[in-house]
Amino acid sequence: MAYQEVEKYSKPVRVLHWFNTASFLLLFITGLILFIPPLAIAAQDSWTRLIHRIAAVLLVAAPVIFALIYPGKAARALKEAFTWGSGDLDWLKAAPAYYFLADESAMPPQGHMNTGQKMWWFLTVVFGVVFVATGAVMWFARDTIAPTGFLWAIFTHDVAFIVTGAMLFVHLYLSVAHPLMRPLRTGSWSAMTRGTVSAEYARAHHARWFEEITAATHAQAAAANREKVLVGSHGGKTG
Amino acid sequence: MADKAILFDATRCTACRGCQVACKQWNTNDEVIPQQQDGVKEVNTGSYENPADLSPQTWIKTTFREIERNGKVRFLFNRRSCMHCTDAACVKVCPNHSVYHNEDGAVSYDKDTCTGCGYCVACPFDVPRFTKNGLTGVFTKMDKCTLCTTPGLNRIAEGMEPACVKSCPTDALLFGDRDELVKLGRKRVDDLKVKGFTNAYFYGDKELGGLHVMYVLDEAPEVYGLPKDPKVPPAAIAWQDVIQPMGWAVGGLTLVGLGLNYIVAREAKITRELPGKKEE
Repeated sequence: MAYQEVEKYSKPVRVLHWFNTASFLLLFITGLILFIPPLAIAAQDSWTRLIHRIAAVLLVAAPVIFALIYPGKAARALKEAFTWGSGDLDWLKAAPAYYFLADESAMPPQGHMNTGQKMWWFLTVVFGVVFVATGAVMWFARDTIAPTGFLWAIFTHDVAFIVTGAMLFVHLYLSVAHPLMRPLRTGSWSAMTRGTVSAEYARAHHARWFEEITAATHAQAAAANREKVLVGSHGGKTG
Repeated sequence: MADKAILFDATRCTACRGCQVACKQWNTNDEVIPQQQDGVKEVNTGSYENPADLSPQTWIKTTFREIERNGKVRFLFNRRSCMHCTDAACVKVCPNHSVYHNEDGAVSYDKDTCTGCGYCVACPFDVPRFTKNGLTGVFTKMDKCTLCTTPGLNRIAEGMEPACVKSCPTDALLFGDRDELVKLGRKRVDDLKVKGFTNAYFYGDKELGGLHVMYVLDEAPEVYGLPKDPKVPPAAIAWQDVIQPMGWAVGGLTLVGLGLNYIVAREAKITRELPGKKEE
């Protein structure tokens, strides 16, 4: 079979991903500055806190605008984050053998996102809400809320920061640095940059999804064929 | 060096507010009408107090309270400013150590490096005040009393008393070595008790590891508007003692784990590919 590619992420999704990457990294760095006492000197005169707020607005605005333009895509993506089954447990059991020992044998077939990707996407959604809620308290309610409320908002914001920060390292590592993710041009790096993965990769790593899309294509082809046959037979009768 | 402190004797205060004026003058804090946007109370009702609240330009104010004792009205005056705690919540939470204890035991701050993050609202006495950038709406700098140790305006280093103490006409404010003022304060409270003020209280001796502003009171602290048992808020302790170390541990372990994974997985991949079949 010739080398073929299938689309994994459409262009709007990719644009949103890289937009969020940029704003999250800005937020990450300007937030980290307050976390490391020797670096906090860089925050003087509050300019990093201003950048933090601008980036926060972008981080919130991008998915909202995306959801307004592509409500269908947004709904499907959200549904994916909250759809879990026993297969995900099997993946978690098989993951150590795969990611440490390159042993794929126990890996159950995966959908459009594998369980690990889905966990990251789930965390992004949940902690995104936590970040925005606590951040809004720290930004807008500082005058009005009791100091304890402000302090607990900081606390929660920081817990979210630690969890997502650590997971960001894992995400970066698994998408570009893990030995099994190479060569980059066939797998998830390609999926998020060019939008496509090789058909071979899709079949090996996202078997359930590959089946779905090929089944759809086959059904289309079959329907087209049936149409042709019907048209042909009809034409035959009248002819 | 021995810790310095201020002793405030409420029974000697006449509420002349000379200390407020002297403080503003020495620290070049212009009088401004308090603004809601600075996060301070701007309306004053039913009291001789003025201004209504501490602000970035008002580091000390005299408070007025009316209470009833034995069918008579008592007019109580108190001094509201930074307490310069030994266990200071603001020092604990400040992310870049802009707020710090100086060699006299007072809580001073470096206004240049202050980020305006506002974590020092952890203060159990509600003292720090913030300036807001009118354009961006972002709080920029914290301000409060420094016991006259602000760099460049340091009276203590020049062998002088704080401006408020210097101005006090009745010696309701005294400045000196903390140990000596503790002895004096305890004696005055004992005298008050002998005179029939059974609720007399020496405030600041033990509170928060010892305050550097101490109070001789002829009533219970709550009557004077002082918290009975001030504490560093749990959220402030959680942030500094739990969250910060946890952040380093989680971040560090994650990076170490990923590094180990790389070594193991690379080896495994090479071993698996050895028989000659090449990926791609």
